[in-house]
Amino acid sequence: MRHTWKARVLFMKLLEYEAKKIFSEQGISVPKGKLIESLEQLRNLSGRLSFPVVLKAQVPVGGRKKAGGIRIAHDQNDIEASFRSLLGMKIRGYVVRKILLEECLNIAREAYIGLTIDASKGTPLIIVSSEGGIDIEETARIRPEIVVAKTVDIASGIGKDIATELARRTELEGIPLDKIEDIVNRLYQIFVKYDALLVEANPLVATIKGDLCAVGAVMTIDDDALYRHPDIAFRDEVRIEDEIERDSRKQDIAYVRLDGDIGIIASGAGLALSTLDLVKDYGGHPANFLDTGGQITQQRIKACMEIVLRNERVRGLVINMYGGINPMIEAARGVASFVREKRLRIPVVVKVRGNQEEEAWKILEEAGVAVVKSIRTEVAVQKLMELVRG
Amino acid sequence: MTILAEENTRVVVQGITGNIGSAQTKLMLEYGTRIVAGVTPGKGGQSVHNIPVYDTVQQAVLEQGAEASILFVPPGRVLDAAEEAIEAGIGMLVIITEHVPVHDTMRVKALAQKEEVTVLGPNTPGIISPGKTKIGIMPGNLYRSGKVGIVSRSATLAYEIAGNLTEAGVGQSTCAGIGGDPVTGVTFVDLLELFQEDDETSLVVIIGEVGRTVEEEAADYIEKKLSKPVVACVVGRTAPPEKKMGHAGAIIERGRGTAESKIDAFRRAGVSVIDHSSEIVLHVEEAMKELR
Repeated sequence: MRHTWKARVLFMKLLEYEAKKIFSEQGISVPKGKLIESLEQLRNLSGRLSFPVVLKAQVPVGGRKKAGGIRIAHDQNDIEASFRSLLGMKIRGYVVRKILLEECLNIAREAYIGLTIDASKGTPLIIVSSEGGIDIEETARIRPEIVVAKTVDIASGIGKDIATELARRTELEGIPLDKIEDIVNRLYQIFVKYDALLVEANPLVATIKGDLCAVGAVMTIDDDALYRHPDIAFRDEVRIEDEIERDSRKQDIAYVRLDGDIGIIASGAGLALSTLDLVKDYGGHPANFLDTGGQITQQRIKACMEIVLRNERVRGLVINMYGGINPMIEAARGVASFVREKRLRIPVVVKVRGNQEEEAWKILEEAGVAVVKSIRTEVAVQKLMELVRG
Repeated sequence: MTILAEENTRVVVQGITGNIGSAQTKLMLEYGTRIVAGVTPGKGGQSVHNIPVYDTVQQAVLEQGAEASILFVPPGRVLDAAEEAIEAGIGMLVIITEHVPVHDTMRVKALAQKEEVTVLGPNTPGIISPGKTKIGIMPGNLYRSGKVGIVSRSATLAYEIAGNLTEAGVGQSTCAGIGGDPVTGVTFVDLLELFQEDDETSLVVIIGEVGRTVEEEAADYIEKKLSKPVVACVVGRTAPPEKKMGHAGAIIERGRGTAESKIDAFRRAGVSVIDHSSEIVLHVEEAMKELR
C-alpha cells in the first residue's frame, strides 16, 4: 500500500533476525537461530550445530529465496561452502553482510498470517492464507480462494470473532483454534506497538508436535514513528546501498536517485513528480526525485542542492518552489549563497511563485541565478534544457 | 454556498503560538479568514495577532464559538490535538502537519468517522474558497473566485494548477487537499459528493499522483454519480516503479495505484485527462464551453 512518493520514500524494513527478536519478545516462537557475520564465527560453532541447518541471507528485500539467498547445509563442509557463497552476494542491490543460521523443523503444515494497512479504508487489515511461504500478492491473484482478508477497527482492536472467522474461512484444520487466536492477537499487538506498516509470519509453521512457529518473519516500521521506538536499536544500520540516498535519509531529505542527468528539486512530492514528467517529455532524463518538504530554511535548501549535485552525472538543475508554508525569501537566500559559494558550472534554473515571490525573484536575480516567474513549470524545464544543450 | 467552509466559518488555530502557526495565522487573517481563537496548552491568556489564545479547544468552542480547526501542532501531538478537537465538538479539522505516524492517522480517522467529523489531511494544504475564506497554507494570490472546484493530494501542484487557471481568468469555487499521506481523513469521493451538491461549482478538477487508489475510486464515483464535467491530472507517469513497503498491501490494490491504472480509470469514466498542469486551462475552457 504505502507506495506514495510523498515526503518519505524509504521505509524501515527490519532484517529477519531483528523481526524475529521482536516476535520472540512478544511470545511468538521462532526457530532456534544464530546470527553469523564471519567465517571465524561459523568455525567457532563447529561441533555444536545439529544438521541439517538453514542459512538465510539477511537483506531488507523480499524475493530472497528466488535469488538463491536461502541454503540448506547437511554437514560442516557444506555449511562453510554455503556461507562463503552467500556472504558478499548481492540480492536485488543489497550486499549480504549477515547470515542467520537456523534449525530445520519437522513441519506438519504451513500457513500465512499478515497485518498491514488497508490504505483505501484507512484501517488495519489482517490477511490469512492456508498456505505458507508464499508470495501473498501473487497468491491473491492466482488463487484468491485461499486468501482471506479482513479490516480491523483500530479503536476496538482484534476480537476473538475475527481470528475464529479467519481460521474457519481459510480451513486451517489441524491447527487448534485457540493457538490461531493467540498468534493473531500477538501479531496484532506487535503491529500496534511498533507502528508497523507490515507484520508477516510467513510461513507460519505447525510442527509435528503441534506447536506454532514463525519460520519467516517480516516487519516494516513507519519511518515517521521511529522516534517513539528507541528500542529499535538497529535503526541506524546500513540498509540503503546508494551512498547519496543514505546521506539524504540521514538529513530527512526525500531523495531518490534515478539514472538520468537533470537534477530536480521541488517543494512538494506532487510538484516533483510533475517536474519529472516534464523533464522526460522535453527529452531530458531526470537524475533524481527530491521533495524538500515543508521545512525549507537556507541551510536546508543548500543541503538539498548539495545532495543533488553529489551525483556527478548531473548537468543541470531545476528548482521548483511555491511559497505556501515555505518561506521563499529564506529559500532564495539559500540558493543564492550556494551558487555563489560553490561557483557552479552547470546551469541552474529556479522557478518561484506564491508568498514572497517578488522578494525571492530579486534575491535570485541579484545573485545572477536564472529565474522563471511564470506559473508554468514547463517554461523552467524548457529553459534548463536549452541551457544544458548549449 | 461553497463546500466545507464559508465566509463566516469560525476557525480555531491549534498550535497558534508556534512559528509556523503564528505566521500562517497572519496570512489567513490578511486573506479574510474568520479566526476566532488559538489554542496552545499552557499558553492560555496570551494573544497572537490579537487573537485570544486558550489552553483547550473546548474553551475556544465555548467562548468564541469555534466550528473548524486548523492544526499546526508537531507530528507527535496530532493524535491528542485532533481527539481533543473532535471531543470539543469541532465539525471540521484541517491537519497541516507532515510526518504524522500512520497509526495515529488511522485512529483520528476512525474517531472522525464515528463522530461524523470532516478531516482534511494530514499533510494537506487545507481549503480555500477564493474571496471568502482560507483555512490553509496556500498562497492566496494564486487564486480567484469562480466556478471550478479543485481536489488534490498534493499541495504545491494544486497551487500550480489553480495559478494556471487564475492567470487565464478562470476562477475557483473551493479548492481542497485531502492530504499527501498514505492514509488521510476524507478522500476524493467524499469531496466529489459535496461538489455534486454545490451550486457554485460547475466543473471539478482532480489532481492525482501515483500510489494509493483514491483516483480509481473517484473515477468509479464519477462514472456512476457525478453529473458535472471533470478534468483530471495524474502525475508520476514517468517515475520508475516505486519502492513498495511489501507485498501484503498489493492484495488490496490488485494492480491499481499506477499512473496507467488511474489514467485508464478516469478515461473510462469519461474524464478528460491532462499530462501537464498547464494544459488545464485549455481543457477546463473547453468543458466550460460545452456546459453553456
